[in-house]
Amino acid sequence: MMLNPSDGLPDDRKSLYPQSQSSAYKCGDKTSPISVILVSSGSRGNKLLFRYPYQKVAECPSSLSAKQRNPYVLNTSGDELDDQDGDSREQSPLTDEQLVAGFSDIVLSTILATKSDMCGKKFELKIDNVRFVGHPTLLQHPPIIQVSKTDPSPKREMPTMILFNVVFALRANADPSVISCMHNLSRRIAIALQHEERRCQYLTREAKLMLAVQEEITTTETDGSPQSPFRQILPKCKLARDLKEAYDSLCTTGVVRLHINDWLEVSFCLPHKIHRIGDTYIPPEALERSLKAIRPYHALLLLENEKTLLSQLPLDCSPALIRLIKTCSAVKNLQQLAQDADLALLQIFQIAAHLVYWGKAIIIYPLCENNVYMLSPHANICLYSPLAEQFARQFPGHDLPSMLAKFSLPVSLAEFRNPLEAPTQEFAALLVNQAQLIQMVVWMLQRRLLIQLHTYVCLLVPPSEDEPGLRDEDPPLAARVGGRSLSTPSALSFGSPTSSDDMTLTSPSMENSSAELLTGGDSPLNKRMTETLLASLSEHERQFILNIPAAQNPEDLRMFARLLHYFRGHHHLEEIMYNENMRRSQLKTLFDKFRSVLVVTNHEDPIISIFQSPMD
Amino acid sequence: MGKKLIGCPVCIEHKKYSRNALLFNLGLVCDARTNTCSLEPIVKKLSGYLTTLELESGFISKEESKQKLLPIMSTLLEDLNATGACTLPIDESNTIHLKLIQLRKDPPIVQEYDVPVFTQCKDHFIKSQWDLTTQQILPYIDGFRHIQKISAEADVELNLVRIAVQNLLYYGVVTLVSIFQYSNVYCTTPKVQSLIDDKSIQEECLNYVTKQGQKRASLRDVFQLYCGLSPGTTVRDLCSRYSQQLQRVDERRLIQFGLMKCLIRRLQKYPVKVIRDERSRPPRLYTGCHSYDEICCKTGITYQELDERLENDPNIVVCWK
Repeated sequence: MMLNPSDGLPDDRKSLYPQSQSSAYKCGDKTSPISVILVSSGSRGNKLLFRYPYQKVAECPSSLSAKQRNPYVLNTSGDELDDQDGDSREQSPLTDEQLVAGFSDIVLSTILATKSDMCGKKFELKIDNVRFVGHPTLLQHPPIIQVSKTDPSPKREMPTMILFNVVFALRANADPSVISCMHNLSRRIAIALQHEERRCQYLTREAKLMLAVQEEITTTETDGSPQSPFRQILPKCKLARDLKEAYDSLCTTGVVRLHINDWLEVSFCLPHKIHRIGDTYIPPEALERSLKAIRPYHALLLLENEKTLLSQLPLDCSPALIRLIKTCSAVKNLQQLAQDADLALLQIFQIAAHLVYWGKAIIIYPLCENNVYMLSPHANICLYSPLAEQFARQFPGHDLPSMLAKFSLPVSLAEFRNPLEAPTQEFAALLVNQAQLIQMVVWMLQRRLLIQLHTYVCLLVPPSEDEPGLRDEDPPLAARVGGRSLSTPSALSFGSPTSSDDMTLTSPSMENSSAELLTGGDSPLNKRMTETLLASLSEHERQFILNIPAAQNPEDLRMFARLLHYFRGHHHLEEIMYNENMRRSQLKTLFDKFRSVLVVTNHEDPIISIFQSPMD
Repeated sequence: MGKKLIGCPVCIEHKKYSRNALLFNLGLVCDARTNTCSLEPIVKKLSGYLTTLELESGFISKEESKQKLLPIMSTLLEDLNATGACTLPIDESNTIHLKLIQLRKDPPIVQEYDVPVFTQCKDHFIKSQWDLTTQQILPYIDGFRHIQKISAEADVELNLVRIAVQNLLYYGVVTLVSIFQYSNVYCTTPKVQSLIDDKSIQEECLNYVTKQGQKRASLRDVFQLYCGLSPGTTVRDLCSRYSQQLQRVDERRLIQFGLMKCLIRRLQKYPVKVIRDERSRPPRLYTGCHSYDEICCKTGITYQELDERLENDPNIVVCWK
């Protein structure tokens, strides 16, 4: 029976990110664009084809005076109409939107339509508090004009477009990673447009429409109420609607999906909007670092219902992706997933990273009874939070704060079944059966309410009493047994093909894998291996360890020596179990026997803790 | 090109110029990848200065004074790159001073239950350079007094203390930790391993936490103490369990250092009123948004009193995080 704990997830995706919705529209959101602008340069000079949001030309003082005016409203729009270049800043602080609106169409077309030698590269221009980012693109071949055979008039010179630029205006203090993401989107749209232009002159046609509407509006300005030409362009031009949609999506969900000319799909996501916990976002570099460090024993937890997720995929998506989504589960680790879905482990890593990047999944340690969970320090435990409401709907009869209170002290899933708990009245209400408990835990993990604690071990030998001066000179084991990386082979990098395809790891390649050490008693080979392993320790440390009563047992000593390089505080119990194929009880007993030289502590796994708590 | 250009173009219109206007722009060329936010105010300031000089004495349009621009620009480039500050003598009466100001992140809001602690030795700071409020509260910042207490003892209004400390936070002079009590509960963070990996943090820690006049504490003892902190264990419990390790270690400074370097974090208690009858008022403080620290500070009751009240209330659950 495959446990699908994601059943019954609310389909309303927006509810996963309650706070980000309200802040997206507030002035000053650094991850949203202020405006999107399309300019072109050609035989007719530089033109601004479209911009959104467009200037609300209707708000000029003359029309305002006609309406009822609130005496407390500051009239700042008057400045804009006088000063075409938007330079007047000292009188009243203009919002960033007003700043961009203050740039007239002509000024924008002049500064944003570059020369051809700037094409094919990142374009970035900052004017005071506004930063324009784009990727000017050259249209190489002049469009072939179809001239009607019956048309006797001489072929007119059709205006040709030489280059175009899709520009996003951002706030100047936007993060460099946001800027490069926006540049990426501009480039993607440009590639699609360039392709469609070559195929069927799509861009030229749309541009013609846009310019025609603009000319029409300026020539037929009657009754003194100027309209924005861009408002009229929208219903007529698909490209304009696409650009508007891109802008709107970037400001809200951060996920853009366009179909240029109803044919080419351009998809893009802004990680800063997708990976938010409360008010802070996880920087993409941190995300990437984390993804490069995931191991086969980690698991993939989908953040959305399987059905919802599958319906969001494009028709021509990879079948491997579909297989993975259908087979993944919170209790299965990536290696098992590879076997079940019949895919190479490397491919699983890549698809998992892709899903995580798009905010559709997070990496966790697979659910099992011995997992110990605790409340995340960033969890929202407020009584009136939308999460509390959702929880009550999802799990009637239980309330979120009481459930969260149970995780105030680290508790393993096995402990929930402990019948020794005194059944007080409120506890009776909290008693849950195992299946429902798993569902609740998964629900809480998806909403970043819980963190998992792991046990880490560090070797620290008590200092010798007779030479106090020297003892601190010995660098701790961690510094000496340095650099041996146990991470996944370097093959995992975004988008690059790899040569090492067999990554069905059972244990990574290390010099001291279990197969090498024979189990047969006290053979000279084993003794020598143990000695070699202990050679990395200082004399004092070695003596101390050998004097521990448990070290008199050669089996124990051998196991200790073999696991020595894990005792740096960077490998948790489950990792050692996975790599060395050992049972939890074996390890715990070993730690206990050698507790005079080992220090044990519990904390979250820093590799995946980023999904539960943002970087400090 | 791989370069970035920062400039501030100026246009001065006047009939005396050959085209009825003088346009000029003094810009800086930088590597495209560097962060140049702090150079922008300098460029702006320079353009303002040059505009004034031009308006007053035709500095740029006159040939003889224009020659001075070259040495000015080379001084500017060299000094800014070397020390981040430069002094440009223009003529007998005018000198331009420029300095690169590092832009820092906005500091968080300082609450009345936060405890400021100096990140460096207090005596390094020349007190007279700070404003009066800060000077008045400086002696009370000892890493144990919280804002409310500082305000009461230094006789400075609470909000002024908060702002002054926020200012100190901005410059990285202090950092905030939580109130110390023996009933506090802490737990380790993944960063605790840096005590083992990073020699400089080790040195700093051992020097900081060793009791006055004692031999330096051993790394193993200190690390064991930190690892002994876990959910459910109070500082009092730690002291009784690890009394041997604490012989040479001051537990208050141990906790302080751990919090400052984020080796450990405090687990705060948040009461939530989950069951209430319809007629009673909605909970104001017991909503899960206010910690015990905050409630005690705001209402003036002690931790123990609050604990007693809430332990016996069946409608309230307490979350630790």
